[in-house]
Amino acid sequence: MSRKIIETRLEEHLITEKPYYLASGKEIEIALSAHKNGLPLLLKGPTGCGKTRFMQFLAWKLGRPLITVSCHDDLSTSDLVGRFLIRSGEAVWADGPLTLAVRSGAICYLDEIVEARKDTTVVIHPLADDRRELPVEKLGELLSAPPEFMISVSYNPGYQSVLKDLKPSTRQRFVAISFDYPNPEMEAEIVCKEAGVDKKLADSLVKLAGMTRSLKESGLAEGASTRLLIQTGQLIQDGIDVHTACRAALIEPLSDDPELLAALQEMVSSVF
Amino acid sequence: MKLALFTERFYDLVAPDIPNEWDVEEVLDPLIDESDLVCEAILGHIPVIWPVSHSLCYDFLRLLPKTLQHLSLEQIPHWIGITLDCYETDGLRAAQRFMQDDIENYLKKLKGSGGLPLASIERKLLPYIRGVARNELQLKQGKTCYTDTTSIFVPEELRFSTNNDVNFLLYKLILTFQWGFMACKSFINRAPSGFSHIECDEDTLWIRAYLASFEEPLLARDIFHCLESFRVRIFLTQELPGLMRAAEKHIFPQLLLKSQKHPLNSLQQALIKDEAELFTLLTSNLTDRECEKYISGEASSCDSAEITAKLFRTLFQKDVEYLPIITLPFQGTLKLQAIETAKKIQEQKMGEQFADMMASYLLTLSKKELGELHEQDKRDSGNQGLAESDISMIMDSEFSGNTEQEKDAPILVSINNEQLEMPVELEEFTKSFLDEFGHLPAHFLSSAAGKAGQAMLEQEVSGPADNSTQPKSTLSYDEWDYRRQGYRKSWCSLHFKDLPPIRTQFIQNTLAKYHGLTIRLRHQFEMMRSQERFVKRQREGDDIDFDALVESISDSRAGISSSDRLFIRLKRDERDIAVVFLVDMSNSTAGWVNNALKESLVLMAEAMAVLGDRYAIYGFSGMRRSRCELFHVKHLAEPYGEQVKERISSIVPSEYTRMGPPIRHATELLKDIDAKVRIIITLTDGKPEDYDDYKGKYAIEDTRHALLEAKTADIHPFCITIDHKAREYMKHMYGPANYIFIDNVRKLPQRIPEIYRVLTS
Repeated sequence: MSRKIIETRLEEHLITEKPYYLASGKEIEIALSAHKNGLPLLLKGPTGCGKTRFMQFLAWKLGRPLITVSCHDDLSTSDLVGRFLIRSGEAVWADGPLTLAVRSGAICYLDEIVEARKDTTVVIHPLADDRRELPVEKLGELLSAPPEFMISVSYNPGYQSVLKDLKPSTRQRFVAISFDYPNPEMEAEIVCKEAGVDKKLADSLVKLAGMTRSLKESGLAEGASTRLLIQTGQLIQDGIDVHTACRAALIEPLSDDPELLAALQEMVSSVF
Repeated sequence: MKLALFTERFYDLVAPDIPNEWDVEEVLDPLIDESDLVCEAILGHIPVIWPVSHSLCYDFLRLLPKTLQHLSLEQIPHWIGITLDCYETDGLRAAQRFMQDDIENYLKKLKGSGGLPLASIERKLLPYIRGVARNELQLKQGKTCYTDTTSIFVPEELRFSTNNDVNFLLYKLILTFQWGFMACKSFINRAPSGFSHIECDEDTLWIRAYLASFEEPLLARDIFHCLESFRVRIFLTQELPGLMRAAEKHIFPQLLLKSQKHPLNSLQQALIKDEAELFTLLTSNLTDRECEKYISGEASSCDSAEITAKLFRTLFQKDVEYLPIITLPFQGTLKLQAIETAKKIQEQKMGEQFADMMASYLLTLSKKELGELHEQDKRDSGNQGLAESDISMIMDSEFSGNTEQEKDAPILVSINNEQLEMPVELEEFTKSFLDEFGHLPAHFLSSAAGKAGQAMLEQEVSGPADNSTQPKSTLSYDEWDYRRQGYRKSWCSLHFKDLPPIRTQFIQNTLAKYHGLTIRLRHQFEMMRSQERFVKRQREGDDIDFDALVESISDSRAGISSSDRLFIRLKRDERDIAVVFLVDMSNSTAGWVNNALKESLVLMAEAMAVLGDRYAIYGFSGMRRSRCELFHVKHLAEPYGEQVKERISSIVPSEYTRMGPPIRHATELLKDIDAKVRIIITLTDGKPEDYDDYKGKYAIEDTRHALLEAKTADIHPFCITIDHKAREYMKHMYGPANYIFIDNVRKLPQRIPEIYRVLTS
């Protein structure tokens, strides 16, 4: 039975310009090898440390489109796999992002997978082991993933809610790469490059971030991420003075606790 | 007020305690002449002090006539607050002393002497310095400023300026400067190359031995201190320019050195002068090249050591008496002895940890390897088991850490002349130990061997547990022995006890005290309960699910049988959660901690009543494995009523903290409960510890194992602790993100419900 299928423009997902990514370990080699061997990838690490950027870089390097799905608790299986729609009185099938990726041999990246409900995440199981196939029940099709296809998921293990953890049966299918903030020299280089600030300012920002990260046990859930540093740098570059920019883009996003905020402010005034 | 009435009221307030009538009348008698208003006010304070300490309460009453001469009625509650703080931090004696002697001091402070007390800003400064130093430094009060590398000591109050912003800045500068000494590696531990002629034993800081080798060690120390301070100053200017700029503007100008004719004066001056004058100030003592090195920040502590010797030669005059330098307030003093002590404590701690790790590693070695040794030894000496000397261990001494290559070389351990490779974890620990202390004292190795030997001995000797008659309400639980990597079967007896319900004002008082908070919590918890969400694709419901409808129509057009799940229904998310709260009732919780724990339980229970989660509360304590006790406060199915409230009020600190059995019991309980999420929350104030050998690593490992058992049964353990020192082992015991610290006991009641909320939503 032939069906009408809505064509999705795949080229929109193709990354043409080389994304800036500075490797801090062997993560690129591991990911390339995982891709070569058809293995799924699990990226874990704190917020804003470069997981998504890494995926963009990987997709560019492999020359494959990157289809990103930000997971949330309302995400249904149809949202991933696809559904029929009616167009001019006719039922047409629209591929979901996952199906699209399988068909076209793209890279499918499920961001923050723990946010999705567990009954949704099981649809990736057959794709994430050696079967590498996706049953599309409504079409009665069993799609086999081409060698170029890759599935990758990310999550942040720092959450304390017991309800947000990955099921072992899901977890144990992946090649896992653990991400952390880059070392100070590299982080400064990244901030320089991304925010367009000078080396000295970048160094100071990174120093400040290091200070906030060591407060993890003093009540700060997560220290300043590389992303926050870049944003701070961008504000400064735009002519906002350093103290105001740090307050707005680096300190306030971290905490609401007045005493911690005061301590962070003291760090800023010491560094700059 | 009449004495009889006064006494009666007193008894009412302290019930269920029945204090000695003599004591009560003795302290109340001098107060009966006071007006009723005063008497009522006095009585109002009794419930505050009595639960904390009875003798403190008596002292308070005894001293009251004198106190009332100085303080007004309104001032007394604040004064009591400080007394209790004093009791909490320094014990009864200190609190008594404060009450007796310090009223005038207190009044002075109250009037505002213009100073900035450390206590008022400590919570801001501590995270600041920890962030800057990137480690868990402690902040302590001291008469002078110095650091022992684990803590920084600062004065209790600063009155440097009338402007408290400047005082705060000075506090910040003191802390940062003391950290600067650590960051600049001023406290040279081992002899640098070129200085090998000064020898010191392993326990002494090399720099102390070096300074002591001078004819006038105090002068040498002063010179070294000056030079190092200058180095720190330059380092901070580069590292934290903002701070130094502020200091140059607000602090340095006010620091005029008294015109003292000290030869080091110009060096001291250099610390507070701007860059333009630096060179001239330095050249009076140093050569041009040395000055440049210092100003550019390239000098090292070895340079300082070298120049100390040179300067000493020019400055030292035999017949002139030693004249101490006047240090600047932020510079502090150099207390090398304190550093050594702190290092030793640290080394001992890490050494013991090493010995424990080594011992458990030795026990994992094949029985044959050790067994043979054992047999042989038995034959040789008729020894029982492996004594300390039975395993001779030599750590590969090649490691000296001088070159990168050597650093990466594996560390080998030779046991009875046989070379073995260590497991990665142990090896890494050893390396970090060697990095820190430069050597590994032999007694830690022999202690490891000793421990391993002992555990083996126990394995052989320990037969089945004694089958003494046990009361009916007793269960026995296994205990994990990490040394043998196995369970001690039925090792602990857990006795169930009921807490006597006690009718007190505690619950009312707590609810009154936290009235606002209770309302807020109830509201928050209510929001959690009514987590309403639209469930889509239902067979029936309140509204049409448009997505489903479209899909269904498309499906039918496409020729597939379409779904009849076309409705949206508003559904309340069923919270299917069962929780067991285990409350530490060990002796160490006496005082504020116990009170705060109880208050938190009350607030928690009040909020939980809205939520409808099933929960149980048990207290635990006990002494020795034969008598672990579990106190029933509330069972899972029991409703929260008067009885439960009264039992919460009667939670009192009793004995020790053996955490394994109660956790295992809670696991057993929850195993049979059908709930989507099952949680054990432990509220504790410290490490697991019992009277017998249930301490240190053994206790931690057993607790960890009990928690692992819970995890295996799909139960989530979580710990709320107020132990400041807990950081190292908590992660190991509970796993990352499964515990939380609460810095301030007083915040406990507020925080616990919040934590619960975050944990389960």
